Amino acid sequence: MTAHAHSDHHSHGALQMGHHHVSSSQQFLSVLVALLVLTGITVGASRIDFGSANMLIAMAIACIKASLVIAFFMHVKWDTAINKIVFLSSFLFLALLFLFTLVDLTTRRWDSYVNTIRTPVDHGWVQPAPKPDAHH
Amino acid sequence: MTTNIPAIDQHAAPTGGSTNYLNNTSGFWSWASTLDHKRIGLMYLVGTTLAFLAGGLFALLVRVHLWEPDGMLFDNPTYNQVFTLHGAFMVFLFVIPAIPGSLGNMVLPLMLGAKDVALPRLNLLSFYLWLTGAVLATLAIILGGFDTGWTFYAPYSLYTQKAVVTIGLAVFVLGFSSIFTGLNFIVTVHKLRAPGLTWFRMPLFVWALYATSILQVLATPVLGITVLLVAFERLYQVGIFDPRLGGDPVLFEHFFWFYSHPAVYIMVLPAFGIISELVSVHSRKPLFGYKLIAFSSLAIAVISFLVWGHHMFTSGQSTFAMFAFSFLTFFVAIPTAIKEFSWVATIWKGSIALNAPMLYTLAFLIIFAIGGLTGVILGSLSVNIHMHDTYFVVAHFHYVMMGSIALAFFAGLHHWWPKMFGVMYDETIAKIACGIIFVGFNATFLPQFIMGSRGMPRRYATYVPDFQVFHQASTVGAVILGVGIALMVYCFVVSLFQGKKAMVNQWGGVTLDWLTPTPPPLENFHEAPVVTTEVYDYSTLDLSTTRTPIA
Amino acid sequence: MSHDGHHSVVIPAPGPEFVPHTVAHHFDTPVQEFQAAKLGFWLFLATEILLFGGLFAAYFYYHETYAETFRVGGQQLDWQLGAVNTTVLLLSSWTMAMGVRSAQTSQKGKTLLFLGLTVLGALIFLGIKYVEYSAKNQHGLIVFSHLFDGYDQANKQLPWFQDYGGVMKDVPHGHLFFAIYLTMTAIHGLHVVIGAGLIIWVMKGAAKGRFHAGYFLPVDLVGLYWHLVDLIWIFLFPLLYLVP
Ligand SMILES: [Cu+2]
Repeated sequence: MTAHAHSDHHSHGALQMGHHHVSSSQQFLSVLVALLVLTGITVGASRIDFGSANMLIAMAIACIKASLVIAFFMHVKWDTAINKIVFLSSFLFLALLFLFTLVDLTTRRWDSYVNTIRTPVDHGWVQPAPKPDAHH
Repeated sequence: MTTNIPAIDQHAAPTGGSTNYLNNTSGFWSWASTLDHKRIGLMYLVGTTLAFLAGGLFALLVRVHLWEPDGMLFDNPTYNQVFTLHGAFMVFLFVIPAIPGSLGNMVLPLMLGAKDVALPRLNLLSFYLWLTGAVLATLAIILGGFDTGWTFYAPYSLYTQKAVVTIGLAVFVLGFSSIFTGLNFIVTVHKLRAPGLTWFRMPLFVWALYATSILQVLATPVLGITVLLVAFERLYQVGIFDPRLGGDPVLFEHFFWFYSHPAVYIMVLPAFGIISELVSVHSRKPLFGYKLIAFSSLAIAVISFLVWGHHMFTSGQSTFAMFAFSFLTFFVAIPTAIKEFSWVATIWKGSIALNAPMLYTLAFLIIFAIGGLTGVILGSLSVNIHMHDTYFVVAHFHYVMMGSIALAFFAGLHHWWPKMFGVMYDETIAKIACGIIFVGFNATFLPQFIMGSRGMPRRYATYVPDFQVFHQASTVGAVILGVGIALMVYCFVVSLFQGKKAMVNQWGGVTLDWLTPTPPPLENFHEAPVVTTEVYDYSTLDLSTTRTPIA
Repeated sequence: MSHDGHHSVVIPAPGPEFVPHTVAHHFDTPVQEFQAAKLGFWLFLATEILLFGGLFAAYFYYHETYAETFRVGGQQLDWQLGAVNTTVLLLSSWTMAMGVRSAQTSQKGKTLLFLGLTVLGALIFLGIKYVEYSAKNQHGLIVFSHLFDGYDQANKQLPWFQDYGGVMKDVPHGHLFFAIYLTMTAIHGLHVVIGAGLIIWVMKGAAKGRFHAGYFLPVDLVGLYWHLVDLIWIFLFPLLYLVP
């Protein structure tokens, strides 16, 4: 920040909200086409068995789609630095929630004493209670 | 940060009959629909104080009940409700909203040289959301109460036949009240700083509120979805927290503490901010390590997202996760210690004024040292396994929440009271109240450290007779504490009616909040301020002009 | 409200079909007002991400725990309807972006047209969602009439999960997938409803000519909200309908 925090405001003499980048219709249309194509690829990729990589592929494509929406439709590409930081940091902190909960869950199988107390099942964790039976 | 504000220097004492934010309009509706940050701050002050008194009453009931090993007042289920009410009221209705809502609202725009917060309507909405939360919480008591503890741990919170959905809704609404306050402060700090008020000329209370706001915005939504999910579990058995349905209650704890550990810093960072201001003004010295304190607030905000699992060491996390969380927890101690040392170094060789705000500040410095260090003890995994859910933990977080945060809040109230109302309280009574509170507080909670380390579990309605002497000492302390707080409230209330006129600049502060008329006018400054000097620069302030009573 | 002779800043209307905008009194300039509101709204969107994030965390937690349940559960959803709904939302995101652009370029008629199309997209989305919920209801995977009946502890039965076809009988805790599906899509659907309401609200303002090149803030903000709704669905679609 410069010595005059308000300087950016005073520099605009025009009685407008400021100078705004206006995207071209052509660009919006290209983004839309890309999003639709990527949706097709998502469906296609889900039909092929890549094992555990399917999740990674699906999420990678979803992230690309999300980036397109954020950058172009939400106009973040031309937005101020602080607005970029604010929105992207929400994903960063969300990643922390994912990281630690999943680290806890997936490393429980390292604790051999837990598995001797609880009956391990093939999906690596226990079924604490019988499932509610379906009835007709 | 002496500033170049001709309008204020020349007309330092507004002429008699001048209007200010208190008297420019009148009538109930002028308050209920106000967009003025100062009036909203006052409404928060009244609301959160009432919540504090209610929470304090529940605390006294708990302490009186525990006079006898078998309990004096309640049956066990009722006791569960009373300690839950104490925790829930104190945490959600007082400690989290109190400082940002009242003093933050009052002072932040003044310190920035702004006419108001950036989004005044949202600010009023925050207050009404707080009020709605308070009404819902009270409604929950009428609808059968709740006995889950303030933590709402699953699966008990899913099964108990009490008004958990209502209090969950209250917490959800209060969460959004807190979010909107934080959001508003962030925007205000970014967009409404006076010309010349660079980031490193901002007072540290502003820095602290800014860091707090980041936490409010990023952590609170997870609490929101957590209490919603608990409500959904009770309404249609989602199953994700319910072990009968294949769910894992540990996931609830992850979600809950993802918010509630950072929430500890939502509570304590504003208190740090107040202390930073007060040690400087009342020692008449620039803050030692200004930038370190500013950055340590941000560091605490970030680190606090990495340590929540230290609340779950006995909950069935993986050993690896416990190791990681314990390891990371120690890092919180670094920025926190930086602050404590900086405050002490600021006082060192300062021109110390032993007035009521400074006495509370000194009490804070002592109590927070104990509260902070016992936190390090509890952060270490192997010790925590033994101390978990004992009175040692209770004593630790009361040294932080009551002893540090509430005392800092009282310190700030005494400090800004003359600014807010233009009147001074009786300094002698205020100092006596401070002494009683300090003695009462330590008498209440020091014995809890001892009995906790000897195995007295928290939240129990009864106990083995060996602990009776500690419980009785604690109860006596709580009564002393209650007397001190009652005296403080009395002192404040009396000052409104009989208090002397305050000085123009009561303590000789040089931040912008002290350079407006007292009390401030509607839009805070008669002439938009321009800041030309560094923060906490006392050299240019002529004390003789500040010591004139307001007209 | 003004004082000391400071008068509020007014942004003039670019044409007779538009109305001027008065900047709120506590801001010095229109830029300051615009940026403050926009930063505030981005912060709000960040809270939405974290609120939904909790649900996604729960999804991943149980996807990891009961992978088979999620795989079989996902097969019970109609991926074709999901794909159609994805397309509808992407199209509506595009019309929204075009609507904001029309407001930025002072094209009143186009603004109303594109915003109207976006609301139409929202309605189609909700209609398809209704069809999907009905199918789940029919197969006893989510029996809405018994949704709030409570857990039957004695018989270990969940009244809203009856699974008439027995499709989930070989996987543990089959109801969990549908509970998570219902919770995520219902909260998302609520956002669709709120979003549509907000769009209708700005359409009223647009009809009065309040939005133009000089002032289009509300259209911009509601647009951001709508794109967020789309953003969340971009992740929901593969996770729920094409369970990886
Ligand atoms: Cu903690």
